[in-house]
Amino acid sequence: MKRILTLLRAVLAATTLVLVAPLAMAAAYEAPLPAEIGTAPDLCAMVACHEVMPGADSFSERMGRPAYVEAYRDGEQGRELIGYVFLSTDIVDIPAYSGKPVVTLIGMDTQGIIVGTRILRHSEPILLLGIPEEELTKFVNQYLGKFVGDKIEIGKSRPDAGYIGLDAITGATVTVIAQNQVMLRSGVAIARQVGILKSDPKPQARFTDVHELRSWEELVREGSVRRLTVRPEQLGLPRANEPYIEMYFGYLNVPAVGKSLLGMSGHERLMSRLEPNEHAIFIIANGVDSFKGSGFVRGGIYDRIQVAQDMDTFTFRDMDYYNLWGLEAEGAPGYRESGIFIIRDPVFSAAYPWSLVYLGNKLDRNTGERSFVSFDQEYWVPAHYLEGGRPTIIKPDPPWVRVWKMRAVEIGLFTAFLLAVATVYANRNRLTRMSNRKNKWPVNAFKYSFWVISVGFVGFYLLAQPSITQVLTWFHALLFQWKWELFLTDPFIFLFWIFIIVTVFVWGRGLFCGWMCPFGSLSELLYKIGGAVGLKRFQFKLSKPWHDRLKWVKYGVFFVLLAVSMFSMGLAEVLSEVEPFKTTFLVGLFSRTWPYTLFAAGLLALSIFIERPFCKYLCPLGAALAMPSTFRWYGLKRKQECDSCKACAVGCGSLAIDKDGRIDQRECLLCLDCMVYYTDTHACPPLAKERKRRLKAGLPLTPIGANGYYIPIHPEPMRPATAGKS
Amino acid sequence: MSQDKTQDPTHEQSDLQDGAIDPSRRKFLNTAALVGLTGAGLSVGLSACKQESSAPSAPAVPASGTLAKADPIHPKPGQLDEYYGFWSGGHTGDFRVLGMPSGREIHRVPCFVPDALVGWGVTNESKKIMGTKADGSLQFTVGDTHHTHASYKDGNYDGRYAWINDKLNSRVARIRLDTFVCDKITKLPNVQGFHGIFPDKRDPVDTAINYTTRVFCGGEFHIPVPNDGRDIDSPEKYRAMFSCLDAETMEVRWQVMIDGNCDLCATSFDGKLAACNQYNTENGVHYEDMMSVERDACIFFNIARIEQAVKDGNFRTFGDTGVPVVDGTRASNADPKTALTATVSVPKNPHGVNASPDGKYFICSGKLSPTGTVIELQKVLDWFDGKLDDVDKAIVAEVEIGLGPLHTAFDGRGNTYTTLFLDSQVVKWNVEDAIRFHNGDNTVQYVRDRIDVHYQPGHINASQSETMFADGKWLTVGCKFSKDRFLPVGPLHAENEQIIDISGEKMVLVAEHPVRPEPHDFIILKRDLLNPKKIYSLDDFPLAIHDPKDVGVTRDGNKVTVRLVSIAPAIEPREFRVKLGDEVTIILTNHDRIEDLTHGFGLPEYNINFIVNPQETASVTFIADKPGVFWGYCTHFCHALHLEMRSRMIVEA
Repeated sequence: MKRILTLLRAVLAATTLVLVAPLAMAAAYEAPLPAEIGTAPDLCAMVACHEVMPGADSFSERMGRPAYVEAYRDGEQGRELIGYVFLSTDIVDIPAYSGKPVVTLIGMDTQGIIVGTRILRHSEPILLLGIPEEELTKFVNQYLGKFVGDKIEIGKSRPDAGYIGLDAITGATVTVIAQNQVMLRSGVAIARQVGILKSDPKPQARFTDVHELRSWEELVREGSVRRLTVRPEQLGLPRANEPYIEMYFGYLNVPAVGKSLLGMSGHERLMSRLEPNEHAIFIIANGVDSFKGSGFVRGGIYDRIQVAQDMDTFTFRDMDYYNLWGLEAEGAPGYRESGIFIIRDPVFSAAYPWSLVYLGNKLDRNTGERSFVSFDQEYWVPAHYLEGGRPTIIKPDPPWVRVWKMRAVEIGLFTAFLLAVATVYANRNRLTRMSNRKNKWPVNAFKYSFWVISVGFVGFYLLAQPSITQVLTWFHALLFQWKWELFLTDPFIFLFWIFIIVTVFVWGRGLFCGWMCPFGSLSELLYKIGGAVGLKRFQFKLSKPWHDRLKWVKYGVFFVLLAVSMFSMGLAEVLSEVEPFKTTFLVGLFSRTWPYTLFAAGLLALSIFIERPFCKYLCPLGAALAMPSTFRWYGLKRKQECDSCKACAVGCGSLAIDKDGRIDQRECLLCLDCMVYYTDTHACPPLAKERKRRLKAGLPLTPIGANGYYIPIHPEPMRPATAGKS
Repeated sequence: MSQDKTQDPTHEQSDLQDGAIDPSRRKFLNTAALVGLTGAGLSVGLSACKQESSAPSAPAVPASGTLAKADPIHPKPGQLDEYYGFWSGGHTGDFRVLGMPSGREIHRVPCFVPDALVGWGVTNESKKIMGTKADGSLQFTVGDTHHTHASYKDGNYDGRYAWINDKLNSRVARIRLDTFVCDKITKLPNVQGFHGIFPDKRDPVDTAINYTTRVFCGGEFHIPVPNDGRDIDSPEKYRAMFSCLDAETMEVRWQVMIDGNCDLCATSFDGKLAACNQYNTENGVHYEDMMSVERDACIFFNIARIEQAVKDGNFRTFGDTGVPVVDGTRASNADPKTALTATVSVPKNPHGVNASPDGKYFICSGKLSPTGTVIELQKVLDWFDGKLDDVDKAIVAEVEIGLGPLHTAFDGRGNTYTTLFLDSQVVKWNVEDAIRFHNGDNTVQYVRDRIDVHYQPGHINASQSETMFADGKWLTVGCKFSKDRFLPVGPLHAENEQIIDISGEKMVLVAEHPVRPEPHDFIILKRDLLNPKKIYSLDDFPLAIHDPKDVGVTRDGNKVTVRLVSIAPAIEPREFRVKLGDEVTIILTNHDRIEDLTHGFGLPEYNINFIVNPQETASVTFIADKPGVFWGYCTHFCHALHLEMRSRMIVEA
């Protein structure tokens, strides 16, 4: 018992270290940033712009839309523009793995070459616990010296296709794919704005001669008029019945739409004012706020609305505003504010989708801080107004789709593996009949192979070790917001979990835990190898009473984690280091700081002497899966005699068979040893007894039936077969 | 306002005429008048009457609350008027722009008379348009604008130009409707008392020209031709002229010398005819001579024939003007087949001739006769074609309408609205019914309604009335006397512009506004017919300083050019030096591009102030005859640093 206490003490000590060490190292994780970082004119007073723009002596205030600052060096002829500095979140809103953006400060010289980057803040848990944060810094440093207009992707360079490859961070694929988009899209947006890059004008729309006038309702239904509503609570204001602003908008160049809305002559007059490739949209609004504001009076720019298409944003000047005299379409609503705005940039094309963006000012009711927040609504001219219909658009895949495409082969192999395991297990009765007490290879050949695959392919190669953190994330997703993207970003974990959930309810958690869990497999492999290489005499089991007490510890661990996660997901993630999975597979035993290595290595070393000590007593994931296993559909078979016979209980590696012969399905890892006994006429005492009786009586040995008994020679009352009930 | 209503029986009447009015309120108004409640008491009483359960302390519903829900007369803040109104300013010499039907004045465009706000008559550019003497000073500084009309296309306004007359000095000004600035002024030769003006609506011959290319001008006063000192004591040799200007070049194309005079003008929608009413067919010099005959006339001009005559060389010229003048006198135009003019008789000293929106009739008002005369244009054309033996047979109706009829407007539904100067009324009468009555059907009630106005109305016009798209919504009456209608401000009274809702059977007086004397005529047109510019373009001005770096002083002898640019909040350069006695020309370009960011430039002691709108350039020239430091500063509020926006002129002794 002393050994166990020592072990527990070591575990506790390691956990404490885990709590403290990484937090001290992760400087950018959830780093507090000034609230006005997204709005303050003098960006560089708040963040270290000079770190991303070497050689700069001074910086301008924020300018442009999206915003950037100019960097200057004091030269012979006065100050000289040497580049631009911009904040990724000013430009793009691309969530990373955590669902929150990685706030990045980027420096770009006047040629469009990235000269500096700095992660100001991220919320990636993987970088907190699994992977050192420097990995992300190393990753973004790969952009230094690269031109923002280049095609850069994660993976190997493909010179033939013109792609420059970047090294990913192992285990943080989604983070780096998202970050690649952040770097390139913000760089391109600023490079375009300052004239380094030229936008390729898209082909302009050609409209069909559909000219039937439509009512307001028809226009709304077909999508020629769309609505963008912002509610007060979305801006941190008290809830109210009236929307903060509700805008209807539409594209007026389409003859049928423009004529329906403005009337024949009104549309004609408007179109006569437009140059070729100029576009008119209308906006009407109700609600408490104005979409015009008063900024345009001073600066000439409407600062609350803009149109976005791909990476281009189109703002409106006072010169681009015309009065909307009225809406002719039947059933058009009344409105408080209205206007016609002209898009004069040739880059805009009505053939492609665009969005109306409303820029609001969000009030944080706790701090009183204000920050900009944008709301948008997509608009795409209905296909029947476009000659040839809507053009096909290649939208960049969301990160999760790219991951699935990138790893298609492995996904195929992994799926095959999952199916193979299920198939083998579904045929377990055939295998156990082929086996006997002395030769379990028909079962073990598969099981050991699956262990090896789980450890090598699934664990070390795919890094697809399921973790309790995923369970916690689900709980939160179920309680708060379910986002498929969140789960789809890791295809192996995603598939694995589908498999786990299904098999837990069909066969119980033992199939995953006992056959496929990379760490569990590694643990038991070590035990088997240990036994095989002569350490058998040192191998031992805890006594049944101690086992029955300690097995509850893992449930405690699970509920503590679940409870902590309700208050702090971050702390729960830290505490989840009780799983040695990251250390073992994701990062590597020798890539982490010593407390982690010691903890994982200790558990593995212990596994040589005790079968699966972590699984039995600590694993919160096992605990989480054990509970629903109560409701599994197919259990293991038992016989009536099992309540008194202890033959298979003695051999149960999981210590899952109690003194009454019942199998605890929550503890059972489905090793199938007892099922081998079940049909083994030499090992199973009731069968052995019958075998001997028949041999003595000279009766023939009929095959063993599904109920685990010899098929009777003459009819006799049916002996009920007892399925293993716990 | 409610106080006025109770004290003024006329208002009450007009309210009662409104069929839509809340009957309880009507009743209340009557009883309120009896009880003699004060205005304040009435307001409370009204609100209590309309909302019986509301507490007396609830805000009083103004009496106008009974108007339609969307109240166009009193637009809410941010709401725009549905119509533009173009007003003549009278002897203020300007052109005014009102929002209608609210009656809010939005803009005044100086034309014939200097204007201190914009520097009209101060800048070199405006002086050139106004006309200068040899020494560079303005030729005229007074004017008298009466009538303004805008250019047409396809029977509606096309938003290019408006023209306005100066009766005092016989000038025509053209206002560009994209910038609302006067861009040309033409002085008519051999004309005094240039009164009526009207653009044509399409070409009489070329059907492709479906828009205005001519502007017709009527000469009211008789003078010797040329008026160079000859024939001063022979009034029988005095003549009046009808003139035609080219709408684009603003040059006088031709003139017609006529018997009698020209008062107001009208043109037909087919472009073939122009007409003037004549109150002095007697060629009288004194008023009793002018009103001696019972019937004066409306003279019609056959435009195609006149232009053919000019082409054929059948004209004279007078003095050194070179303008071809054709003979439009009665004696020379007796044969309809060759006549350039036709004279239809109209009783007595008529005033006003107005074209109906259906293109069929011109209506003349009798002024000293209580009649309206309806002339059918097709019949006038028939006379020219020899199909009608007597041109007076073109008169299809001549009916009594009231005392002192002057001007007529149309609602597009067959009704006309004529001001009755002496009756202080507007009469609504139906043209087809009047024709029926004239043809002997005595049972027809062609007068549909009458309404009192305050007081003594002159011009009248309705929304879109002078186009083929008269919409019959709003009628405005220019009352020449306001007397007691506004707070007294001494002996000079404002004019009273009253607005009448004519959308129903009965006219409803809905608003009145004091206007600075003294507008005459006006037009009311739909807002979407115009497309005004928001800012100028640098290229609009030959002197523009395109590059803000290109500023400073250049000298040619004692002629000094100072180039300035304004970009809020600075005028660059911040200072400039000239020498005493220099002839200084300051050119200022406003480089701000933001709409409404206008700058001014005032120069103390030198009598200079003018404005430059965004991207506009203006210049002034003066002699630096006072040494010292003179702070040129921005006089038009522009920016938070408006007061700091200056440039120092240093005149070195």
